[in-house]
Amino acid sequence: MSKKNKISLSEDELVLALRNHEKIAVEALYDMYSSSLYGVISRIVIDTAIAEDILQETFVKIWHSFSGYSAEKGRLFTWMVNIARNLAIDKIRSKDFKNQNKNQQIENNVTFIDEQRNTVYKPELMGVKDLVRALKPDQKSIIDLVYFKGYTHVEAAEELGIPLGTIKTRLRMGIMELRKHFN
Amino acid sequence: MKVEEIKAYIETGILELYVLGDVTPNEKRQVEEMASKHPEIKAELDEIERSMELYAQENAVEPSENLRGRVLGSLLTNLSDDRNFSKAHPQKDNDADDEDEDNIIALPVQKKESGFYKYAFAASLALLVASTVALVNVYSKLQASNEQLVALQSDKQHFANQVKLMDGELTVYRDTTYKLLRLKGTAKTPGSVLTVAFSPVHKKVVIDMANMKMPVNDKAHQYQLWALVGGKPVDLGVFDSAADTLTNIKEMKSLASADAFAVTLEPRGGSVNPTMDQMMVIGKF
Repeated sequence: MSKKNKISLSEDELVLALRNHEKIAVEALYDMYSSSLYGVISRIVIDTAIAEDILQETFVKIWHSFSGYSAEKGRLFTWMVNIARNLAIDKIRSKDFKNQNKNQQIENNVTFIDEQRNTVYKPELMGVKDLVRALKPDQKSIIDLVYFKGYTHVEAAEELGIPLGTIKTRLRMGIMELRKHFN
Repeated sequence: MKVEEIKAYIETGILELYVLGDVTPNEKRQVEEMASKHPEIKAELDEIERSMELYAQENAVEPSENLRGRVLGSLLTNLSDDRNFSKAHPQKDNDADDEDEDNIIALPVQKKESGFYKYAFAASLALLVASTVALVNVYSKLQASNEQLVALQSDKQHFANQVKLMDGELTVYRDTTYKLLRLKGTAKTPGSVLTVAFSPVHKKVVIDMANMKMPVNDKAHQYQLWALVGGKPVDLGVFDSAADTLTNIKEMKSLASADAFAVTLEPRGGSVNPTMDQMMVIGKF
C-alpha cells in the first residue's frame, strides 16, 4: 500500500460519511487511523497476530456502534482509541489469553515495541526528538502507562510507587507539555 | 458557574483523565455535561484531545499491509445489513452503544473475576490444609486402633492358652485313675508340702505347682522328683520352686508304677542318683 493511495478526509467529512455508511468512509477511516490505533493496541498486546485481530475488531466495533458517537462529546479519535484500548485490555485479561501465556512483562512493553518495530514517522511530526526533550521521563512514563497501556491512574500510582496526587499532577503537567509542543 | 470555578474544575485534571479513558461512567457523563455547558471547558477538552491524538500519531505503528484488505472486507461485506439495522433503531442503538462503552471501561468486572479466583484459590488451600490435618488425625487413630487390636488378640491368645491349661488341670482331678499323694517335709524342712498325682493307667505323673510349699531354690540348684520302684530311685525330672504363673500343674516323666515319691535338691539339671541328705519331701502309697 503506497501512501499515495491513502484516503484522507477532514474529521467532519469523515464523521458524515461514516454516518451515511459510505464505502469511502471505511477506507478513509482505516487509512487515517489504523496506525495510530495499532500503536496503542500493539503496546498492550504483543503478539502481532492477536494485535491485528483486535485492530480488526476495533474497526468492526467502530463501524457497528458509530451511532453511539456524537461530535459534541469530543473528537472522533478519542472515542475510537477508547474502543481500541478497551478491546485490547479485555483480550489480555481474558482467560484464554492468559492461558496462552503470550503476554510479556507489562512494564517493558512500550520500549519493547519501539525497539521491535518501525514506528511511523510522518513528515508533519518531525519534531519527535524535541518532544522527547519536552516531556520529562517521569511524565512520559505515566502518560504511556495510562494512555497506551490502559492503566488507571490508581494502578499507575501503585505500579510506580508514587502518591496518587503526584500521578495526577504529573499527568496534567505532561499533557500541558504535549500541548505546548504541538502548538 | 464563575470563571474561577471553571478554572478550578479544569485544574482538577479530570479532563485529562477523561481523554485518557480513565474515568467512571458517572464522571464521563459529568465531564460531557460540563463541556456542553461551558465553552471554556469544551475548548480545553478539545486541546487535550488534539494533543493526545498527535501524541498517538507520533507513537503510531503500521499494521501489516494485508490487514487493510481484511478489515475493509469484513466491514463492507454486510454494509446493507448494517444500514438497515441502524436506521431501524437509531435512538436505541445510541443508548445501547453508550452502555456498551461503559461496560468496557468498567474494568472492575474483570477484577471481580480475578478476585473470585483469588478467593477460590485461598479456599482450596484452606481446604487442603484442613483435609491434611483430618487425614493425619484419622491415620493416628487408625494406628492406635491397630495397636489395640494386636493387644486384644494377644490377650485372647493368652486367655485361650490359660483355658486350655486349666482344662488340662481339671482332667487330672476328673480322671479317677489318678491317685493323689501328699509328699510331706522331712526333718530338714518340716513345713514343705508337694502334691503328686499319679495315674498308672495313663503312665502319667503330675505335680501341683500352685499349692506347693518348698523353700526357694537358688540359680545353681533345682528340685528333682524321684519315684521309688522296687526300692530303686527313678528320675522323674526337675522343677523350680518359683513356678511360672501360667502352669499350675507340671507333667513329669512317664512312669508305670511306684511305691513312693521323693524330692531332693540337686545341682541344676538334675543328678543320676538322688543326694539323700538333700531330701526335701517324701510320701508313700
